[in-house]
Formats: sequence, structure tokens, C-alpha cells
Amino acid sequence: MRKIIHLDMDCFFAAVEMRDNPAYQNMPIAVGGQGRRSVLCTCNYPARQFGVRSAMPNHQALQLCPTLIILPIRMQDYRDVSKKVFSILHRYTPLVEVVSIDEAYLDVTNCPLNGGSATYIANAIRHDIYQETQLTASAGVAPNKFLAKIASDENKPNGQFVITPETLHEFVRTLPLEKIPGVGKATIEKLHQLGLYTGQDAIDYGETALTARFGKFGQLIFERAQGIDNREIVLYRERKSIGVEKTLIENIIGFPDCWQTLKSLTPELQRRIAQKKAFNRIKKLGVKIKFADFTQTTVEQQAVGLDMGVFQALLEKGLARDRTQAVRLIGIHVGLETINQEQQLRLPLEQTTSE
Amino acid sequence: MKFTILRDDFLKPLNMVCGAVERKSTQPILSNVLLKAQDGTLQLTGTDLEIELVASAVLSQIEAPGQVTVPAKKLLDIIKSLPEGCDIQFELQAESAVIRSGRSRFSLSSLPAENYPNLDDWSAEFEFSLSRLSLRQLIESTQFSMANQDVRYYLNGLFFEVEGSTLRTVATDGHRLALDELTMSQTASSNKQIIVPRKGVLEVLRLLESDDEQVQFQIGKGHIRIVDTSFIFTSKLVDGRFPDYRRVLPRQGDKEVVASRELLKSAFVRASILSNEKFRGVRLNLNSGIHELTITANNPEQEQAEDVVELVQYVGGELEVGFNVGYLLDVLNTIRADEVKLTLSDSNSSALIESMDESQAMYVVMPMRL
Repeated sequence: MRKIIHLDMDCFFAAVEMRDNPAYQNMPIAVGGQGRRSVLCTCNYPARQFGVRSAMPNHQALQLCPTLIILPIRMQDYRDVSKKVFSILHRYTPLVEVVSIDEAYLDVTNCPLNGGSATYIANAIRHDIYQETQLTASAGVAPNKFLAKIASDENKPNGQFVITPETLHEFVRTLPLEKIPGVGKATIEKLHQLGLYTGQDAIDYGETALTARFGKFGQLIFERAQGIDNREIVLYRERKSIGVEKTLIENIIGFPDCWQTLKSLTPELQRRIAQKKAFNRIKKLGVKIKFADFTQTTVEQQAVGLDMGVFQALLEKGLARDRTQAVRLIGIHVGLETINQEQQLRLPLEQTTSE
Repeated sequence: MKFTILRDDFLKPLNMVCGAVERKSTQPILSNVLLKAQDGTLQLTGTDLEIELVASAVLSQIEAPGQVTVPAKKLLDIIKSLPEGCDIQFELQAESAVIRSGRSRFSLSSLPAENYPNLDDWSAEFEFSLSRLSLRQLIESTQFSMANQDVRYYLNGLFFEVEGSTLRTVATDGHRLALDELTMSQTASSNKQIIVPRKGVLEVLRLLESDDEQVQFQIGKGHIRIVDTSFIFTSKLVDGRFPDYRRVLPRQGDKEVVASRELLKSAFVRASILSNEKFRGVRLNLNSGIHELTITANNPEQEQAEDVVELVQYVGGELEVGFNVGYLLDVLNTIRADEVKLTLSDSNSSALIESMDESQAMYVVMPMRL
């Protein structure tokens, strides 16, 4: 059995703000974009008491909690703290999978520290994090990634939960199926219609029946319901795309305005590609459009290097999918070739492909 | 329309023009060949609207002149399968083309010749003649580097450049580039730069013999034509700007390897066996003062090949650089000289490969990061 820890910083952005300004400690605060149409990145526990949640549009959050303070995003500061946190994790094991700025998996199966106990290691890590950043983290300890992830949520904030090989069976037997990552609103509704609520229900229903109903995903539900997850820790996640998008202050309609907006995004896209040294890996260009009713469409085309002609054609194509609606968001992105250990270099035929 | 022709006289030109005809076509008539019987000869035409091939055959007898189009592939299969040396009688009866030979009889569908598409009218702006062999070698030495179905459509073809009395071909797929040139007997008053589509280039290679007989090469605004005694090839040009090949010819190379082409080639072939099947990377190692090239290859199964090639000469310092072995072998298979010269600079810069004879050909290959 492996020993996996899922570590999750508690309300990360908001926690950094409270640390740097203790006056916020007991006030409902959130961090997010300042625009009228922005959404929250995260919020603290006092805000959550009002029903405020991350990813909630600002105006909705303010309706629920009129005293909510929405602070601007200080990404560079959060990144610095995150770096510190990850350096702590690496003291315990090199097997750290970065999930996001504030979330990671660790494989401590062969970690000799703290007597080799994953529970003690998780405790020690959280202790170190608090000592060195004054921020709290929650941890889940389990024999695999999906259970560790569920476990880290059990005693949040500033707590941890352990699923041992002995308690695993009982834990998944009573596990509500919606806790399985990937089971969203639509799937859980279907599962409930079939009378399936817990892991035990799914096992009783049977693999064949689940697969017949949900395809490959049914098989995954069946595995998870038995507490099985064989996914390894992924040490390096390769960037597959680089993109920039913009929610507009006012919805716009028609090609000329959309084109102006798109063009205004390209310098930032260029900057980000340059920063990642990825000009040579561009293999496709894409345009994303979100319409007033929040439906969205993405159009992509193969390309080598940035080509405004391609973006123009893609924008036209994307807008043509719904001419009746105003546009609330425009994004552009480049798809990147995977970095292989063996990478063929390109001749500098075009200016744009040379760095 | 009715004529008699020897099977063997019919087969060769038919085979030639069928190369232009697409298997699957949007218009039914484009799957057909056009046959025109007149004055004792049969003229055959095949086209895909981009290229057009015309060839002719001597008729044994012509009872009634005329013209018609019939399915190319079926006609070719029929003629091919008839015994060598036999007579074939072709006759148009109402809408059917009837083919008889010995006790065999075929009735093929036809479409009227009037509907067969013509390439637009054009006129030559520059025209010169050269031997079949010279043209063939000029194309052969570069065509393998053409891109295939690249989004940069202008790379899916062979670039011809006329500059004074120099005729040059350049091909590149973005990873490697091949360039060759020859001196024409004429001098052009103005420079010409054209891109011949990939399919046309491959067709010309299929048709062109390697002897001293002369062919006419005609360049127009949007077309080229090659007039050979046995066929006339016409192609539309790719409408696009070919990248400036001069920019990518390496000039910084300070390391020069001279080696036997044969030795180098066989060592690369051996090393390639254990290179990654998909990426085909091999590693080249050179050391100053040592006239040896070490080639190594690894695959994901952790197997390894190592081969050491004695060099004729090495001038330069230490270097480790990776290449797609397929690209190197393509070049070594194309060069005809006994010895080749590789000019290198560092592991991120292109290599220049040239033959040690009088050939003007230059091959540029970008390395791989291994």
C-alpha cells in the first residue's frame, strides 16, 4: 500500500491577506477581480458563513454579504508564499505533485522521516508551514490520491484526516458518491435516479451495469467505490497551452469591436509565450468566446507561430456560431507541442518562430 | 470514333497521363482520361485541375476520328491486363466506349469530351531547354525535403528559382532544407521564383527518363510546362511566398568533418535500429584532434547502439549534437560523391552537408535536443 498525502492550504489567498492585515481576521473578506462582472477567487470562513463561495460573481456575493470586503489579487505575493510552501514539502520527499498554487500530492511511501509514519509527516509539514508562513494547511493521508484528496477536506481548516488500509473499506462503503472527483451535478442526478447514494450502493449495482450506463466513467466510479485509484504522483505537468482572456466591462456585439478586443490581448499573449520560451512549440491557435448567456465556444486551427490572419479567421468563425448574441468574454490561446525528450528543432524560416 | 492500336503503344502513354488523375474526385469527369483520335495519333490527357498530363500514341488504323472521356483507372486496368503484343480496337457506340481484343470485349461508360476541363490559357514568360538527366538530377537532389500537407502550404512543393543563368531548386519542411542548382545555356533577363506543387514534382520524376534528350521548360505567371518528346506536363503554381532560404544557410560553422559517404551511411543505418522509433534521434560526438565520429542511439527500452566512424578529416573542437537519423540518411542517400563534408557549430545550430565533388547541392539539417 502506498502512503499519499494531499495537502491543501486553507482559503489560501484570503489567508495571506489576513496574515498581512490582521484587522481582516474576523471580517468577511474575499479576494477577486475588482470589476463589476468579476468572480471571487477565494473567501475566508467568516464570509463563508454568509453563503459566499469561491468562483461566485462579485455582485451575488455582495447580495449575500453586503459587508464583504473584496480585496484585489496580489498574485506575485501568493506565488512567493507558495514557493516557500513547496520548498517545505520538498524537504520531506522529492515526490511532490503540484496540483495548483496551493495544493499538492506527496508520495511518502518510502520517506524515512518521522518514523516513516505518514500521519506524523503530515503533521510535521503543517507545523513547518505554520512556523514559516503563519498560514494553516489541511492534509489528507490515504493509500491513494483520490482518498487523500477527500480526506484533506474532512477536518478543514487546519486539520488532517487519515484513511488507513484498515479503515479504507468502511470509509468508501459509506462515501457519498458526489465526493468522487469527476462526479458532478449531472452524474449524481443520474446516480440518485438509480437509487445509488454511497460507495456500497455502487458496488451492489455492479461494474457491468455501471459501465453500460456511464461507459468508461462507470468503471471508474466502480473502482473508486472500492477505494481503488492507481494513479501515480505526476512530478511534472507539462504546459499544453498558453492563453489570455478578458471579460468585457460591457457586452459587445459585432466583429469590429471583438477584433479590437482580441488585438488588445496579443501583446500579453506574446509576453507570456516569450516568458515560457514557447514560440518554437506553437502548434495551434485558438479563440474562445463567451456569449451573454454564458454559453461559450472555442475554435482552433493548426498554425506555426502567431498569425493575426488566423486569429481573425477564427474570430469570424466563432462569432458566426451565434450571431444573435452579445459577447461577454474573448480569449486567445496557443496550443503547444509536447516537449519530448527528443525534440526536433525548427529552421528559423519565419521571424515569429525564432526566439 | 473508331480506331485500332497496339496494346503496347497504348499502355505507356496511358500509364503516364493516369498519374494526374485523382482516385477520388469531386467531379466524376475528373476520374476520366480524355482520348482524342486524329490524323493517325491518339492524344491522351489526364488532369486534376492542378496538373495536366498529355501524351500521345501512334494508331495502327483510324476509321473515324473523334474524342471522348472514359474512366481512367478502369481503362488502364483493362489495357494492362490484355496480353502483350495484341491489337486493341476502340469504338464509341452511343454513350459506351467499346474495347475489343481477341475474344475480350469491354463496354465502358463515357462522358463527353467537351466537358473535360482545360487549365486556363497562359503564356510562357521564360523558356529554356535542358537535358532530361540534368532536370531529373536537379529535382531528385532536393525534392525529398519538401513538406507534405503542412499548414504552410507554400512548403508543400518545390521552389524553382531562375537567377541569371542559374536554375535552382530548394525544398524545406521546416526542419531541414535542400538546395541544388545548375547553369543553363540561356540567361534570363529577369529573375523568376516559382513553387511547383508536390504532386506535380513527384509526377515529373515518375515520367522523366535519365538521358541526354532535351526538354523544354516554360515558366508563365501561374503555370509551368515541361515539354518532353513523350509527354507534356503542365502545372499550376503554388500561390505563395517561399521563405528566404538564404537566411537559413549556416555560415557560423567552425567544425568540419570530412568522411566517406558510404561508411557514414552504414554507421547511421546501424545506429538507427536502436533509436527511438518515433523521433529517430542519434547523438554525434566529436573531439578535437581525433579523426573519429562516435554515433550513439538509445530507445525508450534503454537499448543502446554505438558506432565509431573513422573520418578523413576533422577540424574543430569538442561537440555533442543530436539529429533525426532519417534526415541525415535522406541526404547521404541523395549525394552521389564518395566523400561528404559536414559543417557544424553547436548543438542548437543547423548542420550543413555538402558533397566533396563538383556538385552545388547544399543540405541544411536542424539538430534535435536529446
